[in-house]
Amino acid sequence: MSSNAVEIENVTLHFPKQRNALKMFINLFRRKKERFTALRNVSLTVKKGEVLGIIGKNGSGKSTLLRIISGIYPADEGNCKAAGTISLLAGLGTGFSGHQTGRENAILYGSILGHDEEVMISKLPEILEFSELGAFIDEPVRTYSSGMKARLGLAVASAIHPDILLIDEVLGVGDPQFKEKSKKRILDLVKSTGTVVIVSHSFGLMKDICDRLVFIHKGKIVDVGEPADIIKLYYEITG
Amino acid sequence: MSEASVDPVLKDVGKRDESWKAPFTNLTVLFKHRFLVRNLVRKEIRGRYRNAMLGYTWTVLEPAMLASVYYFLFIMLAGNPDKMYPVWVILGVIVWSCFGKALQGTVSSLSRNGQTIHLVYFPRIIFPMTAMQGNIIISMMSCLVVLPIMLIYDLPVTIYLLYVPLSVFMAGFLAIGLGMLVAPLNCVQRDIEHLFRFIVRAGFFLSPVMWTYEMALERGAFGEMVLYNPMVVPLTMARHGIAGESIGIPLAGILGSIGFGIVMWVLGSYVFNRFEAGAVKHL
Repeated sequence: MSSNAVEIENVTLHFPKQRNALKMFINLFRRKKERFTALRNVSLTVKKGEVLGIIGKNGSGKSTLLRIISGIYPADEGNCKAAGTISLLAGLGTGFSGHQTGRENAILYGSILGHDEEVMISKLPEILEFSELGAFIDEPVRTYSSGMKARLGLAVASAIHPDILLIDEVLGVGDPQFKEKSKKRILDLVKSTGTVVIVSHSFGLMKDICDRLVFIHKGKIVDVGEPADIIKLYYEITG
Repeated sequence: MSEASVDPVLKDVGKRDESWKAPFTNLTVLFKHRFLVRNLVRKEIRGRYRNAMLGYTWTVLEPAMLASVYYFLFIMLAGNPDKMYPVWVILGVIVWSCFGKALQGTVSSLSRNGQTIHLVYFPRIIFPMTAMQGNIIISMMSCLVVLPIMLIYDLPVTIYLLYVPLSVFMAGFLAIGLGMLVAPLNCVQRDIEHLFRFIVRAGFFLSPVMWTYEMALERGAFGEMVLYNPMVVPLTMARHGIAGESIGIPLAGILGSIGFGIVMWVLGSYVFNRFEAGAVKHL
């Protein structure tokens, strides 16, 4: 039995350049294709029970790597393996439908993340308590403020305990009190979940919670190692 | 429950089944994710009638009002039609809008759901499936208009009445194959969406919605020609169903229409599975 939770081997992912259909059609027959390579030959393993952080500048391929692990983009070359259920926390509350109530959305969101209705219903009290929505839970989500939406999103997403948790820059929503609370919630979640891969720009937090850090630059992994060393390397390279 | 299990093993992520299996695996996917499908369909239906005082009554009101407009138009153009004509039009409008809305819904199913697609992975075939199911359910509700009509026209309740829901289902089935075929392309170029909006409008006149199969038969060779349109079968089936008659179309025509649906399903499933992963990169 392998002790790895995620194994990424020589993964390359291209994005097509947004052009019109005619040029794309011509592109099909060209040997040298017009495209943008988001990840180039990336290999990475995440051990079971590890908290791994990914840092890098905007557009370096961090989020794309998480999307590869969660299966949103299949790799163009190479392969990616993962053990167990995976859940990606990103853009909290973006999947909500405005005309349904918070309660209905919680169940819908849960079922999108792969959970039965009964499981979600049993988690509703916990979600209600954490999101601090009170009577608003039975109002349509379009009447919510953006902070309320994000709170509901975090409450629903964190009520679910996957084997592998992927977090993409979801800290820092809501008012200061809630920020503190959500940070605590995510830390609890990180502790209770076996394996976590986290993308964040808050290096202080990353240094505290991550066992190892990965530095990605221009679609390539520069180095993997101790958080303090990697953060130093980040400043050396990006200036 | 999918709480963290004891010791899960490594599995490939993001690998798709071979595309030629898609026509079959699509059905198992639908069963496996039935909770999700049900919730998404509910979202689709509720979304359509939100903030409406009359709510679901619109499912019946919309085809009834449309039919009355077409009825007056027809009387102006063609003179005195038979007394069942308004009924034929209302059923035509219901079955055709099921096809049209399901087609437009499936064509744009990937491009509309970009946010969800970038948030989480589940088999993407669920998007066109929910678009089709939502429209079939709405059209089934519209079919309730049949009940008062049967009272007014004093029509007998027969086993053929089952043709009405069956024809709605068939219209949806004919739409999804075609929709899946072009849904990935629509992510790249939204022109497809606009083209299909035109196709649905044009098809309205080219299919027996305002006219009937029997009217076409009176024009001789034209009657055989219209059978090349696969939508003639469901449209005619609904009308014969309420009249309590058998379908009255040559067997070859019926089989042709069902065959067209199955071929489109197989082809659409293949193309959708083969290209969806690349197409969503354009969203």
